[in-house]
Amino acid sequence: MSIPVIDIRDLTKTYGRARGIEQVNLEVEEGDVFGFIGPNGAGKSTTIRVLLNLIFPTRGEASIMGMDIVRDSKKIKLSTGYVPSDANQYSSMDVDEFLGYCNGFYRTGNGAARIIELSELFELDRKRKISDLSMGNRKKVSIIQSLLHTPRLLILDEATMGLDPLMQARFFELLRSENRKGMTIFFSSHTLSEVQLLCKRVAIIKEGRIIKVEDIETLRKRQLKKIHIEFAEKADNGIAGLGGIENTPVVSGKTLQFMYSGDINDLVIKLRDEQIADLTIEEPSLEEIFMHYYN
Amino acid sequence: MNKNLFIKELKGNAFSLLMWTMVITVLISLTMSVYGTFLENNSKILAIMSILPEGALQFKGISNVDDLFSVLGFYTANNVIYMLVLGSIYAIVLSSNILIKEEYNKTAEYLLSWPLTRSGIFFSKAAVVFLNVIILNTVTALAGFIGMEIVQREPYSVRAFLILSLYTLLLNLLFGTIGLFMSTLVKRSKPITTLSIGLVLILYFTDTLSKITDSLSKIGYLSPFKFVNVDTVNPEYGLEFMNLLYFFGLSLILTILSYRLYKRKDIYL
Repeated sequence: MSIPVIDIRDLTKTYGRARGIEQVNLEVEEGDVFGFIGPNGAGKSTTIRVLLNLIFPTRGEASIMGMDIVRDSKKIKLSTGYVPSDANQYSSMDVDEFLGYCNGFYRTGNGAARIIELSELFELDRKRKISDLSMGNRKKVSIIQSLLHTPRLLILDEATMGLDPLMQARFFELLRSENRKGMTIFFSSHTLSEVQLLCKRVAIIKEGRIIKVEDIETLRKRQLKKIHIEFAEKADNGIAGLGGIENTPVVSGKTLQFMYSGDINDLVIKLRDEQIADLTIEEPSLEEIFMHYYN
Repeated sequence: MNKNLFIKELKGNAFSLLMWTMVITVLISLTMSVYGTFLENNSKILAIMSILPEGALQFKGISNVDDLFSVLGFYTANNVIYMLVLGSIYAIVLSSNILIKEEYNKTAEYLLSWPLTRSGIFFSKAAVVFLNVIILNTVTALAGFIGMEIVQREPYSVRAFLILSLYTLLLNLLFGTIGLFMSTLVKRSKPITTLSIGLVLILYFTDTLSKITDSLSKIGYLSPFKFVNVDTVNPEYGLEFMNLLYFFGLSLILTILSYRLYKRKDIYL
C-alpha cells in the first residue's frame, strides 16, 4: 500500500460554540479525483483550511503525502496547489505581478513558462489590474497560481464559481490531463453535477461530519431506485409497509413516489394485485441521492 | 525571513513611507525656518512665556524658558510632537496592519497556501516595519540636523542631538512592536488603525499630564514617552541605562510574544 496523499484521522475543529468539523476521517489515494460535497456551512472549507494550516486542529491529526499538516506545512505546500473559494488577490497588482509574486515562492524553474501557457489556455490578459477583473477572470488567475509549480496535489474549493461553461470545460479538460500525468485532485463543491463529471470517489459531509465515502458509480448504482406509481383508483398506502423504502412516500391523489433500496422482486410482488395506471423505476440523479442522505 | 515577501511588502509600503517622511520633514523644516524670527522677537515671547503656568513647557523638555532660545532647545521643544508622536503613529499604524491586512483584505488564503512558514511571514513583515521606521527616523533627523546647521547662531551639542534622535527611534520602534502585538491578539479581522492611533495619543497625554501635575507624576510610568529624555539642553544630558533597558527589553518581549501568538493563530477570513 502506498501512503495516501491525504490522510485525515479523527480530525476535529471547534470554534467556540459554532460547529466546525467533528471526527473527520478521510483517505485520498495517489491519482484520485476525489469529490468532497456538502451544502454551504457543512465544514468543507474548514476541513481544507485545517489541511493548509490556516487554522489549527482542535483534536486529531492529518498528513499530506506522509507529512504532518502542522509541522511540515511549508514542505507540503511546495507540492500542493490550492484554489480558494472566496479569497481576494492583491488588488493593487496586475495579473503578471500577482502570478510572478506567487511564482517567487517556488523553486521550480518553469513557473514563468507555465504562467504564459495557462493564461493562453484561459484567454487571460496578464496586463490587466486585478481590481478591474471580473469574478470569472479572477478565478482564472486563482487557477493559474495553483498550477504554476505543477503540484502533486491540487485542492479546489468551489473552483468553477464564476467560470463560463466554455472555460469550465477547458478547466475540466486540463484537470483530467493533469490527473493522467499523476496529479491527485481534491474537489470540494456543493454542485453535484460537476462532481459527477469529474470525480471517481466522493465524500459527503453534513453538519461537520462525513456521512458517506463511496465510489461515485457505486453511489449511483447502489440499488437506490426512484419509484413513481400511478394507481388506477386511489393511492394505496399499504405499500408503505414494504421493507426497503428509504423515505416517507409522497402521496398526492393517485400517485405515490419514494426511494427504494430493497429487492425489486418484493416490490413487484406487492404491486401484483394492484390496479396500476403507470409505473416508472428510475435511476436517481446524484442530486437526489445526495438529498436523500441529508434527510 | 522570506525575500520575496519582504520585497513585496517593502514596495507595497513605500508610498506611505514617502508621504509620512515628507510631511514630517516639511513640518520640521518650516519650524526651523522661523527660528530667526523667533529670536528677534524674544522680548515679546518672554512676556508671553511669563504668564504660562510653571511646568507648561516642561513636557516639551524645557525646564527653563531661556533654553528655548538655543537652537537645540528650540528644535527639541517644537519637534517632540512631530517626531515622537507622529513617528510613533506611523510605526503603530504600519505594524498593527501589516499582518492582519492579509486577513481583512482576504488575501491570507493565498499567502498561507504558498510555501512559507508562519515564522517567515512574521519576520519578513516585522523586518519591513523596523526598516521603514529606521528610514523615517534617519531622514527626518537628517532634515532636523540640516535645519539646525542652517539657522544656528551659537554652537550646540551634536552629541545631545544624536542621543535625542536615538531615543526617538527607540520609541518609534517600541510602538512598532506594540502594533504587531495588538494585531496578533485581535480575533476579528478588521483594521485596528483607530485604536492604534488612539493608544499613542492617550499614552502621550498620560505622560504630559504626569509632567504638569505633581500629584499624577507616577502615572507617567505607564507611558513609553516617560522614558524618552528630552532635556537636551542640560549639560549632563546622556543615554540612561534604565531607559535603554526599558526600550530594548520591552520591544524584545513584545516581538517574541507576537511571534509566538502568530505562529499558533487561527487565520479566519
